Formats: sequence, structure tokens, C-alpha cells
Amino acid sequence: MIQIILLIVKVILLLLILMGGFAYTMLAERRFLGFFQLRLGPNRVGPMGLFQPLADAVKMMLKEDLMPLRADPVVYRLAPVFSLLAALSVDAVIPFGAPIHIFGQTVNLDIANPGIGLLIAFAFSSLGIYGIVLGGWASQNKYSLLGGIRASAQMISYELAMGLSVLGVLMMAGTANLENIVLAQRAQGWFFLPQIIPFLIYFTTAIAETNRTPFDLPEAESELVAGYHTEYSGIRFAMFVMAEYINMITVSGLAVTLFFGGWLGPSFLPPIIWFFIKIAIVLFVFIWIRATFPRFRYDKLMSFGWKVLLPISFIYFLGTAAFVSGIL
Amino acid sequence: MIPFIILAVIAIAGALGVILGRQPVHSALALVGNILALAVLYLLLSAEFLAVAQVIVYAGAIMVLFLFVVTLLTAGKEEGEPPEELGGQRWWAGIFAVGVGVVLAILAVTHPGSAVNTGIPSNFGTIDGLGHLLWGSDFLYLMAVAIMLLTAAVGVLVLNRPMKKSRVSRPGREEA
Repeated sequence: MIQIILLIVKVILLLLILMGGFAYTMLAERRFLGFFQLRLGPNRVGPMGLFQPLADAVKMMLKEDLMPLRADPVVYRLAPVFSLLAALSVDAVIPFGAPIHIFGQTVNLDIANPGIGLLIAFAFSSLGIYGIVLGGWASQNKYSLLGGIRASAQMISYELAMGLSVLGVLMMAGTANLENIVLAQRAQGWFFLPQIIPFLIYFTTAIAETNRTPFDLPEAESELVAGYHTEYSGIRFAMFVMAEYINMITVSGLAVTLFFGGWLGPSFLPPIIWFFIKIAIVLFVFIWIRATFPRFRYDKLMSFGWKVLLPISFIYFLGTAAFVSGIL
Repeated sequence: MIPFIILAVIAIAGALGVILGRQPVHSALALVGNILALAVLYLLLSAEFLAVAQVIVYAGAIMVLFLFVVTLLTAGKEEGEPPEELGGQRWWAGIFAVGVGVVLAILAVTHPGSAVNTGIPSNFGTIDGLGHLLWGSDFLYLMAVAIMLLTAAVGVLVLNRPMKKSRVSRPGREEA
């Protein structure tokens, strides 16, 4: 019984953390972009603009929910839900901290701790494409459709390199369980040192998977209006944005778990705080990159994914395999 | 038993949706639902790696490529187009499908796998267990599948190879 209550509490807490994380990542992004571009950014609502997300939330919920006349009604409504669902479910397997002891119970700081946690995370995140493709198709609008199609091609291409880049970590840790991967880094040292090239590839593909600049071709405003979410407004548009930012938090969480020792850190701060600090640093790099790099051209993007990232990660994967198995 | 019935109903509903859907994208979506239901069924059978592979490979990659093509082809297509002539093929397909299903069910009951009597090994369905099967006793089959897939990849390369200069009949083909 107490297990079930704990599980429900953990699910609600995770949702709150992710929603709060989404709101304040977005605010931080707008503020930092402001500083990068020598302007202020939103600073009017509350002290330093800290209540801006609340104002945005009210605005999004009160806006009219529009649907184009020729849109496919079921798929049009389903697409943002699918996007958000896939984004939220990945975080269920990410361990946020070391197990803690309260009320005589040992509580793992994740919703589930399956033996194949890493693969489950990849399975859920691979479902996130559907929201974008279906949203683009259901709008029955050429720009939206092109955005959706670009998204599907781009995400499939980069998913391959991403999968190969984490296999090295999987082999070094000898397990696909995310908690054990973190514990393996306590013994072997953080994996980003021996796996520096796979980490860089993982990070590049993570930016592409979340459709962020410089890989934001699916929503390139100079070519496609706003891509797959051109027709969406109000709460459904907000769901697409939520999915994008939660995906950012998720891939950052996976990067920290796989390459930067997860919740490990000196003991003067609790493990969960270390985890959040590391995620915040990765998120800042995401924003930094957005402010720095121009957008790729579409054909360059594809050839970069297939002809550069994929071969390099494959070669490094073979090398790691040879090293781990003791041939080298 | 109850989870099985729920999943079976979802899987069958998805399968029916694939063939009954008027809109190709709806059919593809129904197939995704079917694939996900099957994945959860695999989980119930404690084949966890297979379940995740099913989602990653079929739902996450192959069906997205399907949707890629289908959305491109059906964009802006009108609803009222006449259905294509298939003759009696729909009926024959149904009869064969039911026949194959019945034969498979009979075979499964009369020739159960050895695991039904011996029980499944402790590492069944994990990455470890499946790896030992694929790279151990079933290595030959794995290689056969690999060669088959390689053939397909080579076929795509051959079909898409750049035309030789002498065979290009129309001018300006090189830019294409």
C-alpha cells in the first residue's frame, strides 16, 4: 500500500519538476538570449521577470483554440498530446538521485528502475516524432507538412548516430540499467573522459533530436513560417512547446546520467542537487549554442548526420568494443 | 489474463483499423497502435528486450518512414476518389489470412516449444539472454538475416547509382 502511495507521490513530484523546469528553462532561455543579444529580455512581470511563466500560462490557456477547416480533426487534436506524452514518459526511468531513506522505506528517486532503462528511454523518445509528423500532416498546410517531413527525416537520421554513441557507455558499464550506469561511474570515473567523442556526438544529435538551433529546420521561420506548429494556437501550441523543452531537459538528464556521473558529486550537497546543477549547466550550453550558431542548410544537415556523425560514432563504438573485450 | 485480453483487443482493433481505414495516415496510426500493443504483450511474456526493440525499430523507425512517404503522397488528396479495382482479392486475402491463422494456432497447440515443459531460463528476454542466443546457437540465422539486409542496402545503392555520362540522353540531367 505504502509503495503505491509513494509511487503516486513520485509521479506527481516528477510532473511538477518537469513542468516547473519547462517554465523556468524557457524564462532562462529568453533572459539569456536577451543578454547574449545586448538587450534585457522579459523582466517586467514580478522581480527580474520571475513570474513571466505564470503570465504566459494564463495567456496560453485563455487563447482561442483554432483548427483549420480542412484539417483532420482527430489527428490534429491527437498530435500535441502524443508529443507531450512521449516527452514526459522518458523521464520515468531517469534516476534523479541516490536512493533515500524516509519512514523506514528505501525510496529510489525514479519512477521505474528496469534492467533496460536506457533502451526504454530511447524507445519513448523515438515515439516523440509522431507528434511532430502528425501535427504537420493534419494541419493540411504545405509549410506544416514540409516541417513534419523534415522533422521525420532529420530525427530518424540523427537517432542512429545517437544510439551508437551511447553504446560505448553501455559496454563500459556492462549494463543498460541507468542507476547501475551511474554507480559504474563511481568506480571507473565519469565516462565523458574515455568517451569524449561519443559524448560530443551525443550532444550534437541531442540538439538535432530536440529540433533546436542550429538543427531547427522543421520550424525554420525564414522558410516554413513555423513548420509543423504553424496552425496551432492556445493550449495545443503550448503543448508542443512544453514537449520541446521537456525533451531538452530529458536529453540533458540522459547526458548527465550517461557521461557526467548522474547524481554523483562531493558530499557537501545532496545528490539530487548535484543532478540538477549538472542538468542546468547542460541546459545553459543548449541556450548558448542557440544564441551562437546559424541554422544549417537542409542538405548539409543530412550529409553531416549520415557521412560524419554516423561513421565516427560507429568507429568509436568498434574501438570501445575491442577495448572492453580485451582485444586491444 | 485480464491484461492479455485488453491488449489483444487493442491489437486486433489496430489491425482492423489498418485495413478498414479510409485515410492512409489513419491506417498507419492504427498499425502503430497494433505494434505498441504487441510490445506490451512481449513484456507480459517477460521478453523485455524484444518489447523495447519492437518499439524502437518498428514504431520508432519503420513506421515513421512509412508516415514520411504516406504524408507526402496523400497531402491535399480529395476524399471522394474512386477506390481502386482489386477484383475478388479482398475476399481471397481474408480467407488466406484466416486459414494461415488457424494452421498456426493448431501447430502451436500440437507442437508446443520445449520451454513450455522445461520453463524459461532465468535470463530469458534480457539483453544478456538474447545476446547469448543470437551470438551463440542462433549465430547462423543472425548472419543470414544480416546478409539479406545487406543485399537490400546494396540494391538501393545500385538503383540510385549516378548515371554514366554516355547513357544520359537528356541534357541537364547532371544537375538533377
